[in-house]
Amino acid sequence: MVIYLRSGGKLRDRLKPDVDIYTRKVEVEGTPTLKEILEQLGIPDGLVAFAFADGKVRRLNYRPAEGDVVTLQPPVSGG
Amino acid sequence: MRIKIKKESCTGCRLCEQICTIWHYKEINPKKAAIAIEPHFPEPGIFEPKLCVQCGICAKECPVDAIHLEGEAYVLHADECTNCGICVEACPIDVLYTHADVPTPLKCDLCLKCTEVCNTGALTVVRRSD
Amino acid sequence: MDGFGGTTLRINLSTEEIERTPTDPELARNWLGARGFVSKILYDEVPRDADPMGPDNRFIVTTGVLTGSFCPVGSKVGFGCISPATNGHADSSMGGHLGPELRYAGYDLIVMEGIAARPSYLYIDDDTVELRPAGDYWGMGSLELEERMKKDLGEDFQIATIGPSGENGIVFSCITHDFGRQAGRCGVGAVMGSKKLKAIAVRGTKSLPAHDLESHWNLTYDILQRTKTHPNMAPWQKYGTAFFVGWSNERGCFPTKNFQETYHKDWEKIDGERLVEDCLVSDKACFGCWMNCGKYTRARIPGKPDTYQEGPEYETIALVGGSCAFTDINHVAYANYLLDNIGMDTMSGGSTVAFAMECYQRGIITKDDLEGHELRWGNIDDFEHFVGMIAERRGVGDTFALGTKGAAEILGQGTIAFASQAKGMEFSGYDTRWYPAQLLSYCTCDIGAHHSKSWTITTDIELGRDTIEGKAPVVIYLQHIRPLFDTWSCCRLFWGELDVTPEEHVESIRYLTGWDITLDECMRVSERVWNLNRAHYIERNGGPGRRFDVAPARHLDEPIPDGPAEGKVVGRENFEAMLDDYYANRGWDRNGNPTREVLEDLGIGYAADNLEKLGHLGEPIPGGIPKVRGQKLKPKAM
Repeated sequence: MVIYLRSGGKLRDRLKPDVDIYTRKVEVEGTPTLKEILEQLGIPDGLVAFAFADGKVRRLNYRPAEGDVVTLQPPVSGG
Repeated sequence: MRIKIKKESCTGCRLCEQICTIWHYKEINPKKAAIAIEPHFPEPGIFEPKLCVQCGICAKECPVDAIHLEGEAYVLHADECTNCGICVEACPIDVLYTHADVPTPLKCDLCLKCTEVCNTGALTVVRRSD
Repeated sequence: MDGFGGTTLRINLSTEEIERTPTDPELARNWLGARGFVSKILYDEVPRDADPMGPDNRFIVTTGVLTGSFCPVGSKVGFGCISPATNGHADSSMGGHLGPELRYAGYDLIVMEGIAARPSYLYIDDDTVELRPAGDYWGMGSLELEERMKKDLGEDFQIATIGPSGENGIVFSCITHDFGRQAGRCGVGAVMGSKKLKAIAVRGTKSLPAHDLESHWNLTYDILQRTKTHPNMAPWQKYGTAFFVGWSNERGCFPTKNFQETYHKDWEKIDGERLVEDCLVSDKACFGCWMNCGKYTRARIPGKPDTYQEGPEYETIALVGGSCAFTDINHVAYANYLLDNIGMDTMSGGSTVAFAMECYQRGIITKDDLEGHELRWGNIDDFEHFVGMIAERRGVGDTFALGTKGAAEILGQGTIAFASQAKGMEFSGYDTRWYPAQLLSYCTCDIGAHHSKSWTITTDIELGRDTIEGKAPVVIYLQHIRPLFDTWSCCRLFWGELDVTPEEHVESIRYLTGWDITLDECMRVSERVWNLNRAHYIERNGGPGRRFDVAPARHLDEPIPDGPAEGKVVGRENFEAMLDDYYANRGWDRNGNPTREVLEDLGIGYAADNLEKLGHLGEPIPGGIPKVRGQKLKPKAM
């Protein structure tokens, strides 16, 4: 199936967007978790603070469905 | 069209005030804006954008007819205004503002610039019937 | 002067003399604002033996070149003084609306000295500047006072206050504004209190002059439209900083039980999702910001009054929530309110209470010291009682009013080993035992341990958490680029989160001021500030500099007991090797003293002369100093 991953900052360089400047189309087999998808793409999961899909926060054990747009949020220092 | 205010979405950033003055006066000075964000803190902890709804009462009250209906906006013409202050007093929702350095009241002319910068949906453009 | 309010205020609080001068164009160009202004003024004016809490210390309120402009996001105001916590340069900033308001009143910089004869507040309404008696404002909580002053003076005044903590000289007192924004660190609130200054109220109605307003605006307008669709925008707007609690735990760097552990097993009960779901009242932004990371919340605890506060943000959740081992987000939010209103930095305040909790755990303090109360992990009643003891300096509270280092020096019994601080200021909310670059960042930081000047958790992940190789140059680069935002006096997050480049910020400065300025020049200013602060620190505290770049024993020797980072620790040898590497890359000698060559290169040769007189000038480096100090992270090839 196809899902779309989006990210900015340092993560964008890792993601290598191909749809627009933030978005990469990714084909996956079965219904893998985000963690497994990141492994497939060679992105260290340490650089992803959390994911955001459908207006809600998702952990790395989230399994995206066909056509899902998932934002990968890098960590930051602040507060 | 009109500007719809959704006050629960306002975050008090005052970008609307900034763009209003830069657009109309070419100055960085939010105190000259025709919109104001009124904070209600510490309780209930919300912001309230206060902006003209183009009701036209000020135009009716203006003794020199300096406020004209143009399209859907009542526009104050500075060259005709005597700055008597009657419109400011007449405004039922207190959204005609004043500034010591500006010789007329500050009135929204529905330029919609504030809706372009608002990133939270607190100010949006809707058709008048919506 | 385009891009500036134009006026500098000098106020002698003892004599109540108020002097206005045009803001010095040379100061503006060479030091850019806020943190830079503070560095230069403190270095030039404060006698080296001056007591931080005495009349000779300066209390500086300052804006920077971008404050109040349209560049994202010129919301910040800076406060500066010699810190009572570190006895060195202190700069602490906060967002909100006060900085822009000062500029619209025409002021770039306010330098105060002396001590007011009676508790006072500073009243500024455009050209009217008065020192007014504080009357019954003295003694009020920070948040309560802001509400009161808005009623007394008008909603369009911007107000900054201190609480009882600042009045009583607790070294980690903060300054509060906008019902929840704080200049938290370095004890700036304690120095404000030592001046008998309870509050600052400002209203400004003037325009900020801009050289080329159209270009300045167009640049920001393009950035605005571009960043609205940035992937990080929606998550930031929804959760703010609070969401990184989970990540930090999973990476084994979440301070838990005073940094005894680095994984809080109940983190899901105190994270950003809980905050938003259970406590959120409204989203709140600083002036001119379209990312609204502020979360205004209500805490509800049975048997206690509901409280309204901004936050807790990540650092508060880490150092109050994790470090004091709370397991309910309402308790963390309530604790946040207590500290905000009493006027304590939630970071150092949280850490100091956590340190006391560990002292209680170990029997070093007992119920007898605590007026019959306990001080148990995660207990909000114990927390509340103990914070009151500190604020009023009752009993053992008087000891902890000095922060963890000061308290450990009095308590003895090896407590200094678990006081997580550097130069007298408490660590930010990241444990360093698996993050050597972060440990180096804390221990070399010019204001004491603070992540805002260099945050390297992801750098450590990128370069490898078990190695120290290549870390020092990146720390130096970050110590220049990150504080640059405190110098421009604008928010760093649009760079870090939304890919707005520092070059775009500089372009904005060019349009605003008409200066022909580059990012390289700005980075040199930032390096100049860093080196001047170092020289100043050595001049005040004696040399060699290396003697002060010390890590707490826990972070060097004590392996993390469990969780994702189990068994990790940096080790003394590694730490010293990183320091060697750091000094070499800075152009300092191996004693950590700046060399004449580097100080002259940065245009502050006078600091070399002063260090030389004291015998603490760095030995010349054979082969000379590095031409470029610091290096941007080069991510490993995949």
